[in-house]
Amino acid sequence: MAGFILKRLLQAIFVVLVVTLIVAFAIRLSGDPAIMLTGAGSITEQDLQNIRNALGLNRPFLVQYLGFLHGIVVGDFGRSFMGGTPVSALIAKALPATLLLAFTSLIASILLSVPLGILAAVNRGRWPDQLVRILSLVGLSFPNFWLAIMLVLFFSIQLGVLPPSGMEGPASFVMPALTMAIILTATNVRLVRTAMLETLSQQYIMVARSKGLKDWVVLYKHALRNSAIPLVTYIGLQFGGLIGSIVIVERVFNWPGMGTLAFDAISGRDYPVLQGTITVLALFIVLINLLVDIAYGLIDPRIRTE
Amino acid sequence: MTLSTHLRALGIAAVAALAPLAAPGAQAAGTVTVAVALDPGSWDPIDTFIVDWASAATNIYDGLTSRGPDMKVKPALATSWEFLDNNNRIRFKLRENVTFHNGEPFNAAAVKFTFDRLLGDEGRKGPQQSNYNAIERVDVVDDNTVDFIMKQPDPVLLTKLAGYGGMIVPPKYIQEKGDEYFNTHPVGTGPFKFVAYDPKVSLSLEAFPGHWGGAPKIDKLVFRMIAEANTQIAELQAGRIDIATLIPFGLAPTVEKSADLKLVSITGPTVVALRLNTKTGITKDVNVRKAMIMGIDRDAIIKAVLLGHAKPIASFQADLSFGYDPNLKPLPFDLAKAKQMLQQAGVPAGSPVKIDFRGNDATFREVAQAAAGYLQALGLKPSLQPYETPVLLNDIIPGGKTGEAWHNAWGGWTFDYDNTAYLMYHSGEKWNPYDNDPKLNALLEKQRSIYDVKEREGILQEIGRYVADQALEIPLYNQNTIYGVNKRLQNFVPPADRRFRLTDVTVN
Repeated sequence: MAGFILKRLLQAIFVVLVVTLIVAFAIRLSGDPAIMLTGAGSITEQDLQNIRNALGLNRPFLVQYLGFLHGIVVGDFGRSFMGGTPVSALIAKALPATLLLAFTSLIASILLSVPLGILAAVNRGRWPDQLVRILSLVGLSFPNFWLAIMLVLFFSIQLGVLPPSGMEGPASFVMPALTMAIILTATNVRLVRTAMLETLSQQYIMVARSKGLKDWVVLYKHALRNSAIPLVTYIGLQFGGLIGSIVIVERVFNWPGMGTLAFDAISGRDYPVLQGTITVLALFIVLINLLVDIAYGLIDPRIRTE
Repeated sequence: MTLSTHLRALGIAAVAALAPLAAPGAQAAGTVTVAVALDPGSWDPIDTFIVDWASAATNIYDGLTSRGPDMKVKPALATSWEFLDNNNRIRFKLRENVTFHNGEPFNAAAVKFTFDRLLGDEGRKGPQQSNYNAIERVDVVDDNTVDFIMKQPDPVLLTKLAGYGGMIVPPKYIQEKGDEYFNTHPVGTGPFKFVAYDPKVSLSLEAFPGHWGGAPKIDKLVFRMIAEANTQIAELQAGRIDIATLIPFGLAPTVEKSADLKLVSITGPTVVALRLNTKTGITKDVNVRKAMIMGIDRDAIIKAVLLGHAKPIASFQADLSFGYDPNLKPLPFDLAKAKQMLQQAGVPAGSPVKIDFRGNDATFREVAQAAAGYLQALGLKPSLQPYETPVLLNDIIPGGKTGEAWHNAWGGWTFDYDNTAYLMYHSGEKWNPYDNDPKLNALLEKQRSIYDVKEREGILQEIGRYVADQALEIPLYNQNTIYGVNKRLQNFVPPADRRFRLTDVTVN
């Protein structure tokens, strides 16, 4: 098991390195922060040079990149071009906000999709199954920003019961988490259904049934546990996608998280903030995948030995 | 405990948990909340480059002069000033008995400290220094008098002292706490003082009763950073913010239709034009340039694309701008005449006109498409070339690599024609890759050395007329500044430059 984890860990480090290189390189292709910072105002070339010098943009790319890597190692991502706030301070504030939202959404989605998926699988072909499949299709067809705006219009403007944006308390979580959860559930419910159907058709289920075990024991003890392998994989992978769609949802709900941070950094060509946020997110996704790999091993002893 | 008490406890817990659901952020009496798009990250005047900084910080700081929504420069921390030594020295008499929010006295030393800092190493790291480069140094005459020694004349100086980098900062506070602390804990002499700053979320201020101009009428002022226009409008509709500053033209009707809200659409600083290439292509000929202006129905574009939230212009400035000439009218739209002029100039049908523009500007993309439609009707062959903004501004324009026309959109908060005219029409300037006109150069240089208001205005108007006569650009429109405002706000005079000063505002 230790060797397995070590191998995965080394792979993870390599992935993060590649990500940092791509990010640092790509954002520098997209234009001059000094211009983005000052707008097209009455600014002379000399002023722009001064600003570039102050921001350290006149150094060669390799020097800037190595400085950034060195920063990662010592936990210092530099300072934002906008106002000079340390990037680590910004991330320290934004990461918990994003994780809280992501986990709330994920848990809400699991709580919704597992019972619904089992319901559909058990009633295969009958109306509960049809209904779940139609709902899932509807959920899949919503673009998340549209869904978010509709929720705001209904709950905040029409009913006036939920704050339209910001992170102010439990009520603030409802709409952003719901937006994410609806979209996640739409895919997860199908996955649970398929996985359950496949397991239920296995011979050991038939054996379990013929032993006279109660229905719920067969479902939850035998079928669900064996269906969990594809589910865990998928939810782990989903986390990466979740981070991607959270950027849009955070923006609509003005959520003070990593998505908002990254979005603002891209618009303002704020290199240190963008590099910092992307690196931390990449680290996170890699870490989750690592955990998924380890979780496999725990769920299915066969994988450990491979 | 019985089951029923358990249930009751559960019920109370549930009600408590749901309580925030029931009260959608009702505002305390006397609090005004403003939504701005961006968080400047630092509230230090010398670090700033964005309008959203000024929307908030104009309430924290004072300058030696001030300028309200009427655009008139008035005394503020300076009560009077006089020009000495052939205008090379400007003497300011300072207001007495003024203190900073931390109790530190405002005096000549504070003014000197502010400008030493702005013009020195600390200022060099930011974008504000260049606006004040005409100042050589500030000398303290006595505790309540300072002299500004000028390196070169700057007739816009008094306006510049009313905002942004000219804001007076507390010397002792900054020396004791350091620049970094000051960035996030600003102190000034303004009508509101700093309470809390939550990066990317909000800045909270409260009334400073000791303000020299009288205490504000409201107790609290909150600025929330909301980058998405739809979200700002949702918050406005929910009654949780009082002023929304990010209203795209397309969303203006949503605000207009809400019973509790008011749409404010007033003259803004930003003007938009298509500058023409006078060196190559069909636009070399002044008559062709004029024909192109007359062939584009600018009023129709304003009505259809900008939904009426703009005004036609004849020169590259708003009507609030110093140097604006009310007698200079835009060339009329006349398709037949324009066609005839093109024919007389010998322009073959299907001659190319490439329009370079900032690709991220969705509104202008529509404007450019409309303009291209008109040029096509003239028998020309227009094409649209979107660019990344920095590429267009750093490379294509200064490098003289433009097509026949390119997108100029600009607006200085100073509302002085010099701000844009010099950089756009003087030879050798970054925004003027093609022209070198000795007459225009002389006029532009001359107005920079004249402090006499009337005389300088006359020269600026002459520049405007000359540029229009040479048809160096197709003047398109002056874009309005748009706010969504909750009707409960009273005595709110919307400023064209978005520098709010909410001293007199009250709430119902």
